[in-house]
Amino acid sequence: MDIDDILAEVSSAALIAPGTRDLHALTRAWVAERVAPELLPYPTPLLDRVLARISEQVRSVEDGMAGGADGLGGAATGGADKEKFRLIVVQTELERWKFLVRGLLRARLKKIDAHPYHILNTPDVLAKLSTSETQYLRAHQALLAAHYKSSFLGQFPPALQRLDDTAGGVSMIDAPDVDSAVFVRAVRDVGFITVEGTDTEFEMKRGDVWVVRWRSVRQAVESGDAELI
Amino acid sequence: MYGELGNKLAQHAKRTQSLAHLPPYQTDIVRAVTREVRDLDKDVSNILEPFAGSFNPATEPATACALLVNHLCMRRDKRCLLAYHRVRSDKLEEMCWSGIDALERSQQQNPTSGSGEGSGNDGAGNSSSLSPEEEEYVRQYSDLLAAYKGQYTDVDLTGSLQPPRDLFIDVRVLKDAGEIQTEYGAITLTKNSQFYVRQSDVERLIAQGYLQRLS
Repeated sequence: MDIDDILAEVSSAALIAPGTRDLHALTRAWVAERVAPELLPYPTPLLDRVLARISEQVRSVEDGMAGGADGLGGAATGGADKEKFRLIVVQTELERWKFLVRGLLRARLKKIDAHPYHILNTPDVLAKLSTSETQYLRAHQALLAAHYKSSFLGQFPPALQRLDDTAGGVSMIDAPDVDSAVFVRAVRDVGFITVEGTDTEFEMKRGDVWVVRWRSVRQAVESGDAELI
Repeated sequence: MYGELGNKLAQHAKRTQSLAHLPPYQTDIVRAVTREVRDLDKDVSNILEPFAGSFNPATEPATACALLVNHLCMRRDKRCLLAYHRVRSDKLEEMCWSGIDALERSQQQNPTSGSGEGSGNDGAGNSSSLSPEEEEYVRQYSDLLAAYKGQYTDVDLTGSLQPPRDLFIDVRVLKDAGEIQTEYGAITLTKNSQFYVRQSDVERLIAQGYLQRLS
């Protein structure tokens, strides 16, 4: 997918089938989630649609399969059989969709596991998680805490038993590095961007690609004016 | 020396990070470091006792310095312990994700030399390289993972993170795996035979070392 595709899509979004649009949105969400140092909002409506469509397709493949499947040899040489070929195409495409969803969810879980206390202590970030992700996060942290406690923390003096201690010069809460660099492309004219901590200021126009600190383009990305690549 | 054992733990953790398998749990060191923390804490309360809560660092710089050193050592020990356990639990989680049975793996005396990633040799001759707490953790984490995964059954979250290329792949059977059910009927996997099967049907068996993918 290159810039022309995206520009074409922006101008003629209405002409594209909703399925294709979801595919583009999913691909973008997947790419963005993998490069952004911070968690991005959970795309609830999009994933709901995608998951519903995946399970629908899985069912239809299973139905088609029940119709006339007889061993592996048949499937492998089934080029002549139109119906079988169609099923294989559908399944291949299905695997690709699944891969995108899997990649997206796994990338999110990785970030959730990396900065658990930061997420739990920041309501803004916590709101970006889906319900099941929040459940996972809490359950996982409870498990880890119990594990540490039974392994060694339980025998510590009470003052040192906390896992989210910020006293003593070193904070135990790890936060994502919002100053790490990301590649970003402007989908629309974004305007002037000031990089915090430096006196750099630049104008981002539609189609521009920049390498900037995540902190300074976060707003533009979250509003959809720019996308991560 | 304060902190020396903690340092050892940190080194163990660093070493663990680049190993394919999990080395045995350092029960003795963990215990010794925990003891060190408790002793230091006792020291701190002994030092503070005569002051009865009215300690003023400005008038007693020497005592204040001793207290500070004790405090810092305790925190450092705690960090080392946490780091050590975190690295190990991360490793265990990774095994849960890739479908390797960490409990079984750690108990095997002579693991079969399978190819494919993650199937390193368990160098320890001991019965288990996990502490009892870790075994418990693995069990509970697998349950948690299964619960989270259960919400996305169609997607199979633990599946391959490599982009799919072909729907069907060639595999060779390395170990007898018995009969498996696929959507194209049942196949019997006997050693050294070769099959052309749907990738998503056999992914698990590849991860477990029963099958080898032929490219």
